[in-house]
Amino acid sequence: MIDLVEVFDRAETGPLTSETDFYMKRYVPKLQELIARYRIKWDKETIINTDDDLNDRVFQAAVDLLAEAGAYCPETNRVMQFTRDEILRACEECPTAATFGEGRERKVMYGRRPDSTSERPWVHVGGGIYTTDEQIYMDTVEKMASFTIVDSVSVPSILHLRGKDARVRSPQEILAALKTVRLAREGIRRSGRAGLPIINGISAASQPASMFAASYPEFGLRPSDGFLIDFLSEMVVGYEALQKVAFYNSISANIGSTSTPLFGGYAGGAEGVAVTATCYMIMGVLIFRGTYHYNAPLHSKLHLSATKPLIWAIAISNAAVGRNMQYPMVNLPYLGGGSGTKQYHYEMACYMLAVVTSGGNVFSGHPAMAVQADSLVPDDHKFHAEIGLAAAKLTRAAAEPLAQKLFPLFGEKLKDPDKGLTFQEVYDPKTKRIANDEYLRVMEDVRSELAAMGLEVPVS
Amino acid sequence: MADEAVFDQLKNSIIDQDQDAVLAAVEGALAGGVDPRDVISKGLLPGLNVIGEQFECEDIFLPELMQAALAFQAAMGILEPKIRELGGDGRKKGKIVLGTVKGDLHSIGKNILRLLFETSGFEVYDLGIDVDLFKFIDKAAEVDADVIAMSALLTTTLVGQRDVIEALRDQGTRDKYKVIVGGGATTPQWAETIGADGWSANAYDAVNLVSKLVS
Repeated sequence: MIDLVEVFDRAETGPLTSETDFYMKRYVPKLQELIARYRIKWDKETIINTDDDLNDRVFQAAVDLLAEAGAYCPETNRVMQFTRDEILRACEECPTAATFGEGRERKVMYGRRPDSTSERPWVHVGGGIYTTDEQIYMDTVEKMASFTIVDSVSVPSILHLRGKDARVRSPQEILAALKTVRLAREGIRRSGRAGLPIINGISAASQPASMFAASYPEFGLRPSDGFLIDFLSEMVVGYEALQKVAFYNSISANIGSTSTPLFGGYAGGAEGVAVTATCYMIMGVLIFRGTYHYNAPLHSKLHLSATKPLIWAIAISNAAVGRNMQYPMVNLPYLGGGSGTKQYHYEMACYMLAVVTSGGNVFSGHPAMAVQADSLVPDDHKFHAEIGLAAAKLTRAAAEPLAQKLFPLFGEKLKDPDKGLTFQEVYDPKTKRIANDEYLRVMEDVRSELAAMGLEVPVS
Repeated sequence: MADEAVFDQLKNSIIDQDQDAVLAAVEGALAGGVDPRDVISKGLLPGLNVIGEQFECEDIFLPELMQAALAFQAAMGILEPKIRELGGDGRKKGKIVLGTVKGDLHSIGKNILRLLFETSGFEVYDLGIDVDLFKFIDKAAEVDADVIAMSALLTTTLVGQRDVIEALRDQGTRDKYKVIVGGGATTPQWAETIGADGWSANAYDAVNLVSKLVS
């Protein structure tokens, strides 16, 4: 693989172009040409694709997209170009395992292949949802970490200091990032699993300075946790991302390359999202030197991931990479239904059936499009991890009819999702036990409904 | 060619997102003596309305929307001088100053919004991303804007929207403009808290919101 400084140099030496021309003269026409060249077409019905020839064509299209359109660095207004050989070499040398955690919590996340029914996937739970109170924050993290099936956690964000929210790039943001890390690590310690990794580092940091500050070992994060570096806009590799790449590679930390291709944006529809999402995973290895990937395609208008064409595209990107790279991957779903609602559980089950059977690891999802404060309810995430483990025992062919049964239960609600609960509305503040009988009843109803459909979800 | 056929040709060339065909149709219409204001209102804008509906229904996506907008902008390059020659000002539905607030580098949602505003007949001044709060205010004053529209995707950048409204109040110019906010981190409650005139969940709703606010 070409060395990292050479990668950085590509942002300084490629052809000059405006951002609009990059999109309208390079990325968009090339993507459309590749979709036609490789005959990539969604049939408007399938949720989980089982045609591996199509998966491989999507992968080839993704390689060609990077080779022929390149990536764009807005700070230099240059196209970062890579030869096909350089891209294919990166795919060949892609990490297929990432080691996280410390002590007895030190474990390996593997890149999976589609239909890997005999291997237990990595189980990741949580999300960077805004939290209003330090006690709720600690309780949320402690509870998630205490679930024994969990291998790693994403921790929420807590942005306020002395009653006020920190502003981006402010010194308060650095302090909020430090606070987030310290509280998260303490919450994990209280669960009795001190070595458990946090792999969404760092949820309260939007700028490199905050991330670097909060990575100082004194505050509790370690290279064996995971640090997210994202592609800001379609095919854009900005200096802030490259600064993070430079730093986290210099401390040999786990890097989670992160991408959010937008359905309805420059990528277009399902086919464009499938190719672009796959391309991002290749870019994650080549440009970011990622050790794992956060795959988070999103609908540009609904701000969620659970539409039928999106789930199809996300599953394809998992299968395309699973078959051709085996880059360790989790998929971050943004779901419409609020915490504790049937809609949320149905969406999660449908999504999990698609991505886990297609080669992704297990990752519970954000409720309420991740905008409702305090909506990270740990027992939802335990249930969803259990659903993911149940899905991992199925093939794609077995999962597709289940996904088709589930989709009508929530598809019509995506434009106006059911409102959900907050942490405070579910748990007793003193005992931290579930104090909401209705919450439990809904969850058990869904567990029974899934069993009736043919998906047994054992309680862990 | 009868006027109706001319307007259909203009409309269809926009729907096809074919810039060459749009320019040819505009030149043909003008050569045939059609009023340039009618070229816009009876030909191009109805085509753009269809484009907007197709975008809303997910029949087309951002790239097609951009092609239609670029074709429309090219046509306006021909039509605006003609309208001025006739003594008109080519006035649009309203002027909008648009941008992503300070500290926020996200652009796609804002770009979609710009295109939908343009294709709905508004005059848009897109300040881009990471926009200083006084740039919003200075540009709004400079162009005599009707609306200031601000996007924020991150929770940590939301305060940028509040600051613009606060600065407008401090300057005594808050009532001169309608201020709308949107973006992934925003909610209707947030919009109400900071005293915005409106909030929308997505770009298409924002166009409807602004159309009502300026009507």
